[in-house]
Amino acid sequence: MFNKVLIANRGEIAVRILRACRELGLETVAVFSEADRQALHVRYADEAYLLGPAPSRDSYLRGDKIIEIAKKSGAGAIHPGYGFLAERSDFAQAVLDAGLAFIGPKPSAIAAMGDKAVARATVAAAGVPVVPGTEGEGALSDEELLRLAPEIGFPLLIKATAGGGGKGMRVVQNLEEMPALLTAARREAEAAFGDGNVYLEKLVEGARHIEIQILADELGNVIHLGERECSIQRRHQKLLEEAPSPFVGDDEELRQRMGEVAVRAAKAVDYVNAGTIEFLVDAEKNFYFLEMNTRLQVEHPVTEAVTGVDIVKEQIRIARGRPLSLRQEDVRMDGWAIECRINAEDPYNNFMPSTGEIAHSLLPTGPGVRVDTGVYPGFVVSPYYDSLISKLIVHGSTRAEAILRMRRALEEYRIVGVRTNIPFHQNLMDSHRFMAGQFDTQFVEQRFSMEAADRGRKTLPEIAALMATLVAHQQTERSAHVIQRNERDTSNWKWVGRWERIHR
Amino acid sequence: MKYITTIGEQQFEIEILDDNRVAVNGQVLKVDFESISRQPVYSLLVDGKSYEAYIYETDEGWEVLLQGTRYPVQVVDEREHRLRAAFGGGVVQSGDFHLKAPMPGLVVSVPVKEGQEVEAGDVLVILESMKMQNELKSPRAGTVSRVRVKSGDNVERGQTMLSVV
Repeated sequence: MFNKVLIANRGEIAVRILRACRELGLETVAVFSEADRQALHVRYADEAYLLGPAPSRDSYLRGDKIIEIAKKSGAGAIHPGYGFLAERSDFAQAVLDAGLAFIGPKPSAIAAMGDKAVARATVAAAGVPVVPGTEGEGALSDEELLRLAPEIGFPLLIKATAGGGGKGMRVVQNLEEMPALLTAARREAEAAFGDGNVYLEKLVEGARHIEIQILADELGNVIHLGERECSIQRRHQKLLEEAPSPFVGDDEELRQRMGEVAVRAAKAVDYVNAGTIEFLVDAEKNFYFLEMNTRLQVEHPVTEAVTGVDIVKEQIRIARGRPLSLRQEDVRMDGWAIECRINAEDPYNNFMPSTGEIAHSLLPTGPGVRVDTGVYPGFVVSPYYDSLISKLIVHGSTRAEAILRMRRALEEYRIVGVRTNIPFHQNLMDSHRFMAGQFDTQFVEQRFSMEAADRGRKTLPEIAALMATLVAHQQTERSAHVIQRNERDTSNWKWVGRWERIHR
Repeated sequence: MKYITTIGEQQFEIEILDDNRVAVNGQVLKVDFESISRQPVYSLLVDGKSYEAYIYETDEGWEVLLQGTRYPVQVVDEREHRLRAAFGGGVVQSGDFHLKAPMPGLVVSVPVKEGQEVEAGDVLVILESMKMQNELKSPRAGTVSRVRVKSGDNVERGQTMLSVV
């Protein structure tokens, strides 16, 4: 059994895993790129080793180097986090071949679920419903895809075979626009995954994205921890998640049915460790298997908040060969949790990524608030990695309390130096459709605009005008009247003049 | 000092009277205004009410983020305002549009050529940053000129990539 864990990741998730290891009394080894020398995961870990230059392929994707460092440092296990090497079966296999534990599923399960065609065939055979599409028919040419498209029906989705995270994905409304979209999707897939193969899938309209968290130990116990609602997305990137789902709500029968199907899907690939089964759910409560994420999810904290289960600790426990710490009948969902992904993106400028030094940061705290982050004042957000800078999670006894708490926490949060999507989340919290739980995966792109949201609320133009004028006034230095004390103009004449006015 | 401050259709006449008194449209207010730790976060106490906002300077003027709402603000002093009014209002916009990289990144492709006619909304450059491909579009119709980048180039923030004249 291992007592030292290497974390093959960076950012907030590396910090999250480090915390679990610390609480379990395990020693920790961090790895880092040249851009991350001062990152929080390097500062928190017991040991830290340089991988290489900033680009991922030279650092966090260097599986060979990571295994070498694990062996040299005496780490007995590797936790991959999410992204990077987390869903690479060859890496998981190499870890096992080196005599180390991989804190995640078996390579065979990663491979089975990583190839979407195999995944669909496997779960379909186990009686799990799947969305109609060309997956499982191999790499098809544009001509073949164009021929098959009308059979599936429009609208449909073009998706990258090797994909994930929305890259290489396009919505097609009709046959005429399809050739151009195929080209764009293949180009993006090629750039992101080195594999330009794509497949078609029927677009389930009005669909919600609801996923089930599962845990499986090596002794054959498989349980689910209920669902997460992840329908608030933009360009297929999740922005906000909650548990439970407002759509499933009180329908305990639906929750258990989805949970059982998820457990069945996991068992179909002999799954071990934590995983997530993603479903598309239509308005009639039909649900279809979308894919399985064979790793820890970004949004795992909402499930932790409502179930009280520490999923990362459970992962480590499983990797040590121990049984799960709870049974299905012990799982209870308590209250409501919401997570906002705080990204370095400007919501007023088409969510353009923003880079730079975090000059100032004030985190929200207080009852029911959790912040998972990898940045701090002075840290530079670089263009090399994704734009997630923190996750803000709140827990309340009801959904209404959670929303009000999230509003309060977003108001408290101050980040200076990069633009963030906090104003987007604030507008979302004020949206009547969001409050009523009436949204699907198209909501953000089709029904939500920052400008309309700004128009719809009580505004303070006079205060805004006054503040901008005071700043402009300060900046032009036409006067030193209104200025922070320790920044006062040093002109003695002005001081004398003011002194005289006061004592007149 | 008197300023004419505009937000959309609304115009405010704001006069800075002294250290802690300003007049907004003639109404005198007692204000306490400080920058917090470092710009651009500012705190304003006015008649006992506390406000905090991010205030950024932009190419077009000022941007105020206050209680989750963004306000684009123009501030001109009285003299400048009179001058602009006298010259028929507004500065004449330069005809050339220079596409600057909004962030550091990798040029994925440049789907336009030198001399090519483009419409507003046409994609000029596809730039990859933070694992996302961003399509940078032309704000207006014109002719592409001075293409300074090609696919595979790394660009710095603010670097001019091409122009539309």
